[in-house]
Amino acid sequence: MSRIVLQDLTKSFGELAIVDPLSLQIESGSFVSLIGPSGCGKTTLMRVIAGLETASAGEVTLDGEPPRSARANKRVAMVPQQPGLLPWRTVHSNARLLLDVHRSANPADAVDPSELLHEVGLGGFLDAYPHELSGGMQQRVALVRALTLHAPLLVMDEPFAALDEITRAEMRHILNRLVEGRGVTVLFVTHSIAEAVALSDRVLVSSPRPSRVVADIAVDLPRPRAAEVEDDPRFVELCAQVRHALHGAMRR
Amino acid sequence: MTKRLLAPLVGITVFLALWEGFVRVFEVRKFILRTPSTALHHLWVFRADFLSAAGTTVQHTLVGLLIALTVSLLLGAALSANRFAEWAMQPVLTLIQVVPWVAYVSSVVVWLGAGNPPAYFMVGLGCTPAFVFATVDGMRGADPSTLELMASVDASRWEVLRRVRLPSAAPSLFTASRFNFGFALAISFYVEGANFSNEGIGAIGRRAASQASSADALWASVFAMAILGFVGLILISVIERKVLHWHASQRVRPT
Repeated sequence: MSRIVLQDLTKSFGELAIVDPLSLQIESGSFVSLIGPSGCGKTTLMRVIAGLETASAGEVTLDGEPPRSARANKRVAMVPQQPGLLPWRTVHSNARLLLDVHRSANPADAVDPSELLHEVGLGGFLDAYPHELSGGMQQRVALVRALTLHAPLLVMDEPFAALDEITRAEMRHILNRLVEGRGVTVLFVTHSIAEAVALSDRVLVSSPRPSRVVADIAVDLPRPRAAEVEDDPRFVELCAQVRHALHGAMRR
Repeated sequence: MTKRLLAPLVGITVFLALWEGFVRVFEVRKFILRTPSTALHHLWVFRADFLSAAGTTVQHTLVGLLIALTVSLLLGAALSANRFAEWAMQPVLTLIQVVPWVAYVSSVVVWLGAGNPPAYFMVGLGCTPAFVFATVDGMRGADPSTLELMASVDASRWEVLRRVRLPSAAPSLFTASRFNFGFALAISFYVEGANFSNEGIGAIGRRAASQASSADALWASVFAMAILGFVGLILISVIERKVLHWHASQRVRPT
Protein backbone atom coordinates (compact mmCIF):
# COMPACT_ATOMS: atom_id res chain seq x y z
CA MET A 1 0.00 0.00 0.00
CA SER A 2 1.16 3.49 -0.69
CA ARG A 3 0.16 6.84 0.81
CA ILE A 4 0.61 9.68 -1.63
CA VAL A 5 1.23 13.23 -0.46
CA LEU A 6 1.43 16.23 -2.80
CA GLN A 7 2.59 19.47 -1.17
CA ASP A 8 2.26 22.72 -3.18
CA LEU A 9 3.12 20.83 -6.35
CA THR A 10 3.47 22.86 -9.54
CA LYS A 11 4.54 21.83 -13.00
CA SER A 12 5.20 24.03 -16.00
CA PHE A 13 6.93 23.67 -19.34
CA GLY A 14 8.73 26.96 -19.85
CA GLU A 15 6.12 29.70 -19.52
CA LEU A 16 3.25 27.26 -19.83
CA ALA A 17 1.76 26.37 -16.44
CA ILE A 18 0.39 22.81 -16.45
CA VAL A 19 -0.35 22.19 -12.78
CA ASP A 20 -1.21 25.03 -10.37
CA PRO A 21 -0.02 24.72 -6.78
CA LEU A 22 -1.70 21.50 -5.67
CA SER A 23 -1.78 19.90 -2.24
CA LEU A 24 -3.42 16.54 -1.85
CA GLN A 25 -3.31 13.39 0.23
CA ILE A 26 -4.34 9.98 -1.01
CA GLU A 27 -4.73 7.23 1.54
CA SER A 28 -3.17 3.82 1.13
CA GLY A 29 -5.28 1.26 -0.62
CA SER A 30 -7.74 3.74 -2.06
CA PHE A 31 -8.85 4.01 -5.67
CA VAL A 32 -8.76 7.62 -6.84
CA SER A 33 -9.82 8.83 -10.26
CA LEU A 34 -8.81 12.12 -11.81
CA ILE A 35 -11.30 13.39 -14.36
CA GLY A 36 -11.06 16.56 -16.42
CA PRO A 37 -11.21 18.02 -19.92
CA SER A 38 -8.64 17.05 -22.58
CA GLY A 39 -5.31 18.80 -22.24
CA CYS A 40 -5.91 19.89 -18.66
CA GLY A 41 -2.65 18.35 -17.43
CA LYS A 42 -3.95 15.09 -15.93
CA THR A 43 -1.36 12.96 -17.68
CA THR A 44 1.46 15.32 -16.72
CA LEU A 45 0.36 15.17 -13.09
CA MET A 46 0.34 11.36 -13.23
CA ARG A 47 3.81 11.36 -14.81
CA VAL A 48 5.11 13.56 -11.98
CA ILE A 49 3.62 11.23 -9.37
CA ALA A 50 5.06 8.19 -11.18
CA GLY A 51 8.52 9.80 -11.21
CA LEU A 52 8.70 10.17 -14.99
CA GLU A 53 8.69 13.99 -14.78
CA THR A 54 10.14 16.23 -12.13
CA ALA A 55 7.94 18.81 -10.38
CA SER A 56 8.78 22.46 -11.07
CA ALA A 57 8.18 23.24 -7.41
CA GLY A 58 6.68 21.57 -4.35
CA GLU A 59 7.00 17.99 -3.27
CA VAL A 60 5.55 14.56 -3.93
CA THR A 61 6.14 11.59 -1.66
CA LEU A 62 4.98 8.00 -1.96
CA ASP A 63 5.09 6.50 1.52
CA GLY A 64 7.66 9.14 2.36
CA GLU A 65 9.81 8.22 -0.63
CA PRO A 66 10.46 10.54 -3.63
CA PRO A 67 8.81 9.27 -6.85
CA ARG A 68 12.10 8.68 -8.70
CA SER A 69 13.33 6.40 -5.99
CA ALA A 70 9.95 4.60 -5.80
CA ARG A 71 10.13 4.08 -9.56
CA ALA A 72 13.68 2.74 -9.37
CA ASN A 73 12.55 0.30 -6.66
CA LYS A 74 9.62 -0.90 -8.82
CA ARG A 75 7.11 0.44 -6.32
CA VAL A 76 5.07 2.11 -9.08
CA ALA A 77 3.35 0.11 -11.83
CA MET A 78 1.95 1.83 -14.92
CA VAL A 79 -0.81 0.98 -17.34
CA PRO A 80 -0.51 3.35 -20.32
CA GLN A 81 -3.28 4.45 -22.67
CA GLN A 82 -2.00 2.16 -25.42
CA PRO A 83 -1.24 -1.39 -24.24
CA GLY A 84 2.35 -1.07 -25.53
CA LEU A 85 2.70 -4.85 -25.93
CA LEU A 86 5.80 -6.07 -27.76
CA PRO A 87 4.51 -7.73 -30.94
CA TRP A 88 7.35 -10.28 -31.03
CA ARG A 89 6.56 -11.54 -27.50
CA THR A 90 3.78 -13.96 -26.61
CA VAL A 91 1.02 -12.99 -24.18
CA HIS A 92 2.79 -14.71 -21.29
CA SER A 93 6.14 -13.21 -22.21
CA ASN A 94 4.59 -9.74 -22.49
CA ALA A 95 2.91 -10.16 -19.12
CA ARG A 96 6.27 -10.77 -17.47
CA LEU A 97 8.17 -8.01 -19.34
CA LEU A 98 8.46 -5.73 -16.31
CA LEU A 99 9.84 -8.63 -14.27
CA ASP A 100 12.40 -9.41 -16.97
CA VAL A 101 14.01 -5.96 -16.86
CA HIS A 102 15.87 -4.39 -13.95
CA ARG A 103 15.58 -7.71 -12.13
CA SER A 104 17.53 -6.59 -9.09
CA ALA A 105 14.53 -4.46 -8.04
CA ASN A 106 11.99 -7.31 -8.39
CA PRO A 107 9.90 -7.76 -5.25
CA ALA A 108 10.14 -11.04 -3.40
CA ASP A 109 6.36 -11.43 -3.69
CA ALA A 110 6.08 -10.84 -7.46
CA VAL A 111 2.91 -12.40 -8.82
CA ASP A 112 2.96 -15.30 -11.27
CA PRO A 113 1.72 -13.86 -14.62
CA SER A 114 0.12 -17.19 -15.64
CA GLU A 115 -2.09 -17.13 -12.58
CA LEU A 116 -3.23 -13.56 -13.28
CA LEU A 117 -3.74 -14.25 -16.99
CA HIS A 118 -6.04 -17.13 -16.04
CA GLU A 119 -7.84 -14.80 -13.64
CA VAL A 120 -8.60 -12.30 -16.41
CA GLY A 121 -9.78 -15.02 -18.79
CA LEU A 122 -6.64 -15.27 -20.93
CA GLY A 123 -5.58 -18.72 -19.75
CA GLY A 124 -6.09 -20.13 -23.21
CA PHE A 125 -3.98 -17.44 -24.88
CA LEU A 126 -0.65 -17.71 -23.07
CA ASP A 127 1.24 -18.54 -26.27
CA ALA A 128 -0.72 -16.20 -28.55
CA TYR A 129 0.83 -13.05 -30.01
CA PRO A 130 -0.65 -9.56 -29.50
CA HIS A 131 -1.96 -9.32 -33.08
CA GLU A 132 -4.12 -12.37 -32.40
CA LEU A 133 -5.94 -10.58 -29.55
CA SER A 134 -8.78 -8.03 -29.49
CA GLY A 135 -8.19 -4.54 -28.06
CA GLY A 136 -9.81 -5.49 -24.76
CA MET A 137 -7.70 -8.64 -24.46
CA GLN A 138 -4.53 -6.65 -25.17
CA GLN A 139 -5.44 -4.17 -22.44
CA ARG A 140 -6.05 -7.09 -20.04
CA VAL A 141 -2.48 -8.27 -20.73
CA ALA A 142 -1.24 -4.72 -20.02
CA LEU A 143 -3.13 -4.77 -16.72
CA VAL A 144 -1.67 -8.14 -15.75
CA ARG A 145 1.81 -6.92 -16.73
CA ALA A 146 1.46 -4.08 -14.22
CA LEU A 147 -0.01 -6.25 -11.45
CA THR A 148 2.77 -8.86 -11.64
CA LEU A 149 5.09 -6.30 -10.00
CA HIS A 150 2.92 -6.34 -6.89
CA ALA A 151 3.71 -2.62 -6.64
CA PRO A 152 1.89 -0.66 -3.93
CA LEU A 153 0.92 2.08 -6.42
CA LEU A 154 -0.81 1.49 -9.73
CA VAL A 155 -0.94 4.47 -12.13
CA MET A 156 -3.40 4.11 -15.01
CA ASP A 157 -3.59 6.73 -17.74
CA GLU A 158 -6.89 6.41 -19.62
CA PRO A 159 -6.24 2.71 -20.15
CA PHE A 160 -9.68 1.98 -21.61
CA ALA A 161 -9.99 5.09 -23.79
CA ALA A 162 -9.53 3.24 -27.08
CA LEU A 163 -12.05 0.50 -26.30
CA ASP A 164 -15.71 0.25 -27.28
CA GLU A 165 -18.35 0.83 -24.61
CA ILE A 166 -19.20 -2.85 -24.03
CA THR A 167 -15.54 -3.86 -23.65
CA ARG A 168 -14.96 -0.82 -21.46
CA ALA A 169 -17.74 -1.86 -19.08
CA GLU A 170 -16.31 -5.37 -18.96
CA MET A 171 -12.83 -3.99 -18.26
CA ARG A 172 -13.95 -1.92 -15.27
CA HIS A 173 -15.48 -4.98 -13.65
CA ILE A 174 -12.30 -6.95 -14.25
CA LEU A 175 -10.26 -4.09 -12.77
CA ASN A 176 -12.51 -3.81 -9.72
CA ARG A 177 -12.21 -7.56 -9.14
CA LEU A 178 -8.42 -7.46 -9.48
CA VAL A 179 -7.66 -4.54 -7.20
CA GLU A 180 -10.28 -5.08 -4.50
CA GLY A 181 -8.67 -6.92 -1.62
CA ARG A 182 -5.15 -6.54 -3.00
CA GLY A 183 -4.53 -3.37 -0.99
CA VAL A 184 -3.05 -1.53 -3.93
CA THR A 185 -3.42 2.25 -4.23
CA VAL A 186 -4.73 3.19 -7.67
CA LEU A 187 -4.50 6.53 -9.48
CA PHE A 188 -6.74 6.42 -12.51
CA VAL A 189 -7.02 9.09 -15.22
CA THR A 190 -10.20 9.01 -17.25
CA HIS A 191 -12.64 11.02 -19.36
CA SER A 192 -15.55 8.78 -18.47
CA ILE A 193 -17.79 9.79 -15.57
CA ALA A 194 -19.36 6.32 -15.28
CA GLU A 195 -15.93 4.72 -15.25
CA ALA A 196 -14.67 7.07 -12.53
CA VAL A 197 -17.70 6.47 -10.28
CA ALA A 198 -17.87 2.70 -10.84
CA LEU A 199 -14.23 2.21 -9.93
CA SER A 200 -13.29 4.85 -7.38
CA ASP A 201 -13.41 5.63 -3.71
CA ARG A 202 -12.75 9.29 -4.59
CA VAL A 203 -13.20 11.26 -7.80
CA LEU A 204 -11.05 14.36 -8.24
CA VAL A 205 -12.39 16.80 -10.81
CA SER A 206 -9.76 18.92 -12.55
CA SER A 207 -10.16 22.38 -14.08
CA PRO A 208 -8.92 23.12 -17.62
CA ARG A 209 -5.15 23.85 -17.76
CA PRO A 210 -3.48 24.77 -15.48
CA SER A 211 -4.82 21.81 -13.58
CA ARG A 212 -6.50 22.47 -10.22
CA VAL A 213 -8.69 20.09 -8.27
CA VAL A 214 -12.07 21.86 -8.20
CA ALA A 215 -14.08 19.04 -6.62
CA ASP A 216 -13.21 16.05 -4.47
CA ILE A 217 -16.17 13.67 -4.45
CA ALA A 218 -16.28 10.65 -2.15
CA VAL A 219 -17.89 7.57 -3.73
CA ASP A 220 -19.73 5.68 -1.00
CA LEU A 221 -20.90 2.73 -3.08
CA PRO A 222 -20.35 -0.58 -1.27
CA ARG A 223 -17.49 -2.93 -2.16
CA PRO A 224 -17.04 -5.41 -3.68
CA ARG A 225 -18.72 -3.76 -6.64
CA ALA A 226 -20.55 -5.97 -9.06
CA ALA A 227 -21.65 -4.89 -12.55
CA GLU A 228 -25.12 -4.19 -11.14
CA VAL A 229 -23.80 -1.26 -9.12
CA GLU A 230 -24.33 0.87 -12.23
CA ASP A 231 -28.11 0.33 -11.88
CA ASP A 232 -28.04 1.65 -8.31
CA PRO A 233 -29.81 5.05 -7.90
CA ARG A 234 -26.85 6.23 -5.78
CA PHE A 235 -24.53 5.50 -8.73
CA VAL A 236 -26.69 7.68 -11.00
CA GLU A 237 -26.76 10.40 -8.35
CA LEU A 238 -22.94 10.35 -7.99
CA CYS A 239 -22.51 10.48 -11.78
CA ALA A 240 -24.71 13.58 -11.86
CA GLN A 241 -22.65 15.15 -9.08
CA VAL A 242 -19.39 14.56 -10.98
CA ARG A 243 -20.95 15.83 -14.21
CA HIS A 244 -22.10 19.08 -12.55
CA ALA A 245 -18.64 19.58 -11.01
CA LEU A 246 -17.05 18.99 -14.38
CA HIS A 247 -19.36 21.45 -16.13
CA GLY A 248 -18.70 23.94 -13.35
CA ALA A 249 -14.95 23.52 -13.86
CA MET A 250 -15.33 24.14 -17.61
CA ARG A 251 -17.22 27.40 -17.02
CA ARG A 252 -14.57 28.85 -14.68
CA MET B 1 2.61 -20.58 -51.16
CA THR B 2 2.94 -22.53 -54.42
CA LYS B 3 1.79 -19.45 -56.30
CA ARG B 4 4.36 -17.38 -54.43
CA LEU B 5 7.17 -19.66 -55.60
CA LEU B 6 5.75 -20.07 -59.08
CA ALA B 7 5.25 -16.38 -59.82
CA PRO B 8 8.96 -15.33 -59.91
CA LEU B 9 9.81 -18.40 -62.00
CA VAL B 10 7.09 -17.50 -64.50
CA GLY B 11 8.35 -13.90 -64.57
CA ILE B 12 11.96 -14.93 -65.24
CA THR B 13 11.03 -17.53 -67.87
CA VAL B 14 8.87 -15.05 -69.77
CA PHE B 15 11.63 -12.41 -69.60
CA LEU B 16 14.30 -14.82 -70.90
CA ALA B 17 11.99 -16.13 -73.62
CA LEU B 18 11.31 -12.55 -74.81
CA TRP B 19 15.04 -11.79 -74.78
CA GLU B 20 15.85 -14.97 -76.71
CA GLY B 21 13.09 -14.26 -79.22
CA PHE B 22 14.15 -10.62 -79.67
CA VAL B 23 17.80 -11.53 -80.46
CA ARG B 24 16.78 -14.33 -82.85
CA VAL B 25 13.94 -12.54 -84.65
CA PHE B 26 15.85 -9.26 -85.11
CA GLU B 27 19.15 -11.09 -85.71
CA VAL B 28 20.98 -8.84 -83.24
CA ARG B 29 24.71 -9.03 -83.84
CA LYS B 30 26.62 -11.25 -81.39
CA PHE B 31 28.97 -8.57 -80.09
CA ILE B 32 26.00 -6.38 -79.14
CA LEU B 33 23.81 -8.94 -77.35
CA ARG B 34 24.00 -12.70 -76.83
CA THR B 35 20.98 -14.95 -76.40
CA PRO B 36 20.38 -16.19 -72.85
CA SER B 37 20.60 -19.77 -74.14
CA THR B 38 24.20 -19.18 -75.31
CA ALA B 39 25.18 -17.77 -71.91
CA LEU B 40 23.39 -20.55 -70.03
CA HIS B 41 25.03 -23.16 -72.28
CA HIS B 42 28.48 -21.72 -71.49
CA LEU B 43 27.60 -21.66 -67.78
CA TRP B 44 26.64 -25.34 -67.93
CA VAL B 45 29.77 -26.40 -69.84
CA PHE B 46 32.09 -24.61 -67.38
CA ARG B 47 29.94 -25.31 -64.33
CA ALA B 48 32.83 -26.63 -62.21
CA ASP B 49 34.81 -23.37 -62.69
CA PHE B 50 31.75 -21.24 -62.02
CA LEU B 51 30.78 -23.25 -58.96
CA SER B 52 34.20 -22.79 -57.43
CA ALA B 53 34.23 -19.07 -58.31
CA ALA B 54 30.71 -18.70 -56.89
CA GLY B 55 31.98 -20.04 -53.55
CA THR B 56 34.54 -17.23 -53.41
CA THR B 57 32.01 -14.56 -54.43
CA VAL B 58 29.48 -15.76 -51.86
CA GLN B 59 32.20 -15.71 -49.20
CA HIS B 60 33.14 -12.12 -50.10
CA THR B 61 29.49 -11.11 -50.06
CA LEU B 62 28.52 -12.74 -46.77
CA VAL B 63 31.65 -11.75 -44.81
CA GLY B 64 31.34 -8.18 -46.11
CA LEU B 65 27.64 -8.06 -45.18
CA LEU B 66 28.39 -9.41 -41.72
CA ILE B 67 31.03 -6.73 -41.18
CA ALA B 68 28.63 -4.03 -42.42
CA LEU B 69 25.81 -5.30 -40.20
CA THR B 70 28.00 -5.44 -37.09
CA VAL B 71 29.40 -1.95 -37.65
CA SER B 72 25.93 -0.60 -38.49
CA LEU B 73 24.25 -1.99 -35.38
CA LEU B 74 26.89 -0.41 -33.15
CA LEU B 75 26.92 2.86 -35.07
CA GLY B 76 23.13 2.92 -35.51
CA ALA B 77 22.52 2.35 -31.80
CA ALA B 78 24.84 5.25 -30.97
CA LEU B 79 23.32 7.55 -33.61
CA SER B 80 19.72 6.75 -32.65
CA ALA B 81 20.53 8.04 -29.16
CA ASN B 82 22.12 11.27 -30.35
CA ARG B 83 20.55 13.55 -32.97
CA PHE B 84 23.68 15.69 -33.35
CA ALA B 85 25.86 12.66 -34.05
CA GLU B 86 23.26 11.41 -36.55
CA TRP B 87 23.23 14.73 -38.41
CA ALA B 88 27.04 14.79 -38.36
CA MET B 89 27.26 11.26 -39.80
CA GLN B 90 24.63 11.66 -42.52
CA PRO B 91 26.89 13.43 -45.07
CA VAL B 92 29.68 10.91 -44.43
CA LEU B 93 27.33 7.97 -45.07
CA THR B 94 25.95 9.65 -48.20
CA LEU B 95 29.51 10.25 -49.40
CA ILE B 96 30.31 6.54 -48.99
CA GLN B 97 27.24 5.73 -51.08
CA VAL B 98 27.89 8.16 -53.93
CA VAL B 99 31.68 8.00 -54.43
CA PRO B 100 32.31 5.53 -57.29
CA TRP B 101 34.20 2.38 -56.27
CA VAL B 102 36.66 2.94 -59.07
CA ALA B 103 37.89 6.06 -57.26
CA TYR B 104 39.37 4.14 -54.38
CA VAL B 105 39.50 0.43 -55.20
CA SER B 106 43.18 0.64 -56.30
CA SER B 107 44.16 2.34 -53.03
CA VAL B 108 42.31 -0.33 -51.05
CA VAL B 109 44.06 -3.14 -52.96
CA VAL B 110 47.46 -1.50 -52.44
CA TRP B 111 46.65 -1.00 -48.76
CA LEU B 112 45.21 -4.46 -48.00
CA GLY B 113 46.92 -6.52 -50.70
CA ALA B 114 45.37 -8.78 -53.35
CA GLY B 115 42.88 -11.49 -52.36
CA ASN B 116 39.99 -11.50 -49.91
CA PRO B 117 40.66 -8.49 -47.62
CA PRO B 118 39.93 -5.73 -50.18
CA ALA B 119 36.67 -7.49 -51.13
CA TYR B 120 35.58 -7.76 -47.48
CA PHE B 121 36.48 -4.12 -46.90
CA MET B 122 34.75 -2.75 -50.00
CA VAL B 123 31.55 -4.79 -49.44
CA GLY B 124 31.54 -3.88 -45.75
CA LEU B 125 32.01 -0.19 -46.47
CA GLY B 126 29.51 -0.06 -49.35
CA CYS B 127 26.74 -1.82 -47.40
CA THR B 128 27.16 0.11 -44.15
CA PRO B 129 25.14 3.26 -45.03
CA ALA B 130 21.88 1.43 -45.86
CA PHE B 131 22.17 -0.72 -42.73
CA VAL B 132 22.91 2.34 -40.56
CA PHE B 133 19.92 4.28 -41.93
CA ALA B 134 17.69 1.23 -41.35
CA THR B 135 18.98 0.72 -37.81
CA VAL B 136 18.51 4.38 -36.82
CA ASP B 137 15.00 4.58 -38.33
CA GLY B 138 13.91 1.27 -36.81
CA MET B 139 15.25 2.05 -33.35
CA ARG B 140 13.71 5.52 -33.38
CA GLY B 141 10.37 4.03 -34.43
CA ALA B 142 10.03 1.91 -31.28
CA ASP B 143 6.56 2.25 -29.67
CA PRO B 144 6.61 5.29 -27.30
CA SER B 145 4.17 3.53 -24.92
CA THR B 146 6.61 0.66 -24.50
CA LEU B 147 9.55 3.03 -24.03
CA GLU B 148 7.61 4.89 -21.34
CA LEU B 149 6.78 1.59 -19.70
CA MET B 150 10.45 0.59 -19.66
CA ALA B 151 11.29 3.97 -18.11
CA SER B 152 8.62 3.40 -15.44
CA VAL B 153 10.67 0.49 -14.02
CA ASP B 154 14.00 2.23 -14.52
CA ALA B 155 15.17 -0.18 -17.25
CA SER B 156 18.77 0.45 -18.28
CA ARG B 157 19.68 1.76 -21.75
CA TRP B 158 21.09 -1.64 -22.63
CA GLU B 159 17.83 -3.38 -21.64
CA VAL B 160 15.79 -0.92 -23.70
CA LEU B 161 18.14 -1.41 -26.64
CA ARG B 162 18.10 -5.21 -26.45
CA ARG B 163 14.45 -5.77 -25.62
CA VAL B 164 12.71 -2.95 -27.48
CA ARG B 165 14.79 -0.88 -29.89
CA LEU B 166 16.73 -3.66 -31.60
CA PRO B 167 13.70 -5.91 -32.34
CA SER B 168 11.84 -2.77 -33.51
CA ALA B 169 14.62 -2.24 -36.08
CA ALA B 170 14.36 -5.80 -37.44
CA PRO B 171 11.75 -5.05 -40.17
CA SER B 172 13.72 -2.14 -41.63
CA LEU B 173 16.95 -4.17 -41.39
CA PHE B 174 15.39 -6.92 -43.48
CA THR B 175 14.32 -4.36 -46.08
CA ALA B 176 17.89 -3.01 -46.15
CA SER B 177 19.20 -6.59 -46.42
CA ARG B 178 17.25 -7.16 -49.63
CA PHE B 179 18.82 -4.06 -51.15
CA ASN B 180 22.27 -4.68 -49.67
CA PHE B 181 22.48 -8.31 -50.79
CA GLY B 182 22.35 -7.35 -54.46
CA PHE B 183 24.62 -4.39 -53.80
CA ALA B 184 27.15 -6.61 -51.98
CA LEU B 185 27.19 -9.09 -54.91
CA ALA B 186 27.84 -6.25 -57.34
CA ILE B 187 30.71 -4.88 -55.21
CA SER B 188 32.21 -8.39 -54.83
CA PHE B 189 32.07 -8.88 -58.61
CA TYR B 190 33.71 -5.50 -59.18
CA VAL B 191 36.50 -5.95 -56.60
CA GLU B 192 37.26 -9.50 -57.76
CA GLY B 193 37.82 -8.06 -61.20
CA ALA B 194 40.13 -5.40 -59.84
CA ASN B 195 42.20 -7.08 -57.14
CA PHE B 196 44.42 -9.31 -59.31
CA SER B 197 43.64 -12.46 -57.34
CA ASN B 198 41.95 -14.35 -60.21
CA GLU B 199 39.33 -15.74 -57.86
CA GLY B 200 35.57 -15.27 -57.87
CA ILE B 201 33.04 -14.72 -60.63
CA GLY B 202 34.28 -11.13 -61.00
CA ALA B 203 37.71 -12.44 -62.04
CA ILE B 204 36.09 -14.61 -64.75
CA GLY B 205 34.15 -11.55 -65.89
CA ARG B 206 37.26 -9.37 -66.01
CA ARG B 207 39.24 -11.97 -68.01
CA ALA B 208 36.36 -12.40 -70.43
CA ALA B 209 35.86 -8.65 -70.85
CA SER B 210 39.50 -8.22 -71.81
CA GLN B 211 39.21 -10.79 -74.63
CA ALA B 212 36.79 -10.03 -77.44
CA SER B 213 36.35 -13.76 -78.15
CA SER B 214 35.10 -14.49 -74.61
CA ALA B 215 31.78 -12.67 -74.67
CA ASP B 216 30.01 -15.98 -73.86
CA ALA B 217 32.02 -16.23 -70.64
CA LEU B 218 31.21 -12.61 -69.77
CA TRP B 219 27.47 -13.18 -70.22
CA ALA B 220 27.74 -16.49 -68.34
CA SER B 221 29.34 -14.64 -65.42
CA VAL B 222 26.45 -12.15 -65.49
CA PHE B 223 23.96 -15.02 -65.38
CA ALA B 224 25.89 -16.68 -62.55
CA MET B 225 25.62 -13.45 -60.55
CA ALA B 226 21.92 -13.20 -61.33
CA ILE B 227 21.36 -16.75 -60.07
CA LEU B 228 23.26 -15.96 -56.85
CA GLY B 229 21.16 -12.83 -56.38
CA PHE B 230 17.93 -14.75 -56.95
CA VAL B 231 18.85 -17.55 -54.54
CA GLY B 232 20.01 -15.00 -51.95
CA LEU B 233 16.73 -13.09 -52.09
CA ILE B 234 14.74 -16.30 -51.67
CA LEU B 235 16.85 -17.21 -48.61
CA ILE B 236 16.36 -13.72 -47.12
CA SER B 237 12.59 -14.04 -47.67
CA VAL B 238 12.51 -17.42 -45.93
CA ILE B 239 14.53 -16.12 -42.95
CA GLU B 240 12.38 -12.96 -42.81
CA ARG B 241 9.22 -15.05 -42.72
CA LYS B 242 10.58 -17.05 -39.78
CA VAL B 243 12.04 -14.13 -37.82
CA LEU B 244 9.32 -11.55 -38.50
CA HIS B 245 6.32 -13.88 -38.20
CA TRP B 246 4.83 -11.33 -35.78
CA HIS B 247 5.14 -8.37 -38.14
CA ALA B 248 2.24 -7.02 -40.22
CA SER B 249 4.30 -7.34 -43.43
CA GLN B 250 4.27 -11.12 -43.01
CA ARG B 251 0.57 -11.36 -42.24
CA VAL B 252 -1.30 -9.10 -44.60
CA ARG B 253 -2.45 -10.87 -47.71
CA PRO B 254 -3.18 -8.60 -50.69
CA THR B 255 -6.79 -8.93 -51.76
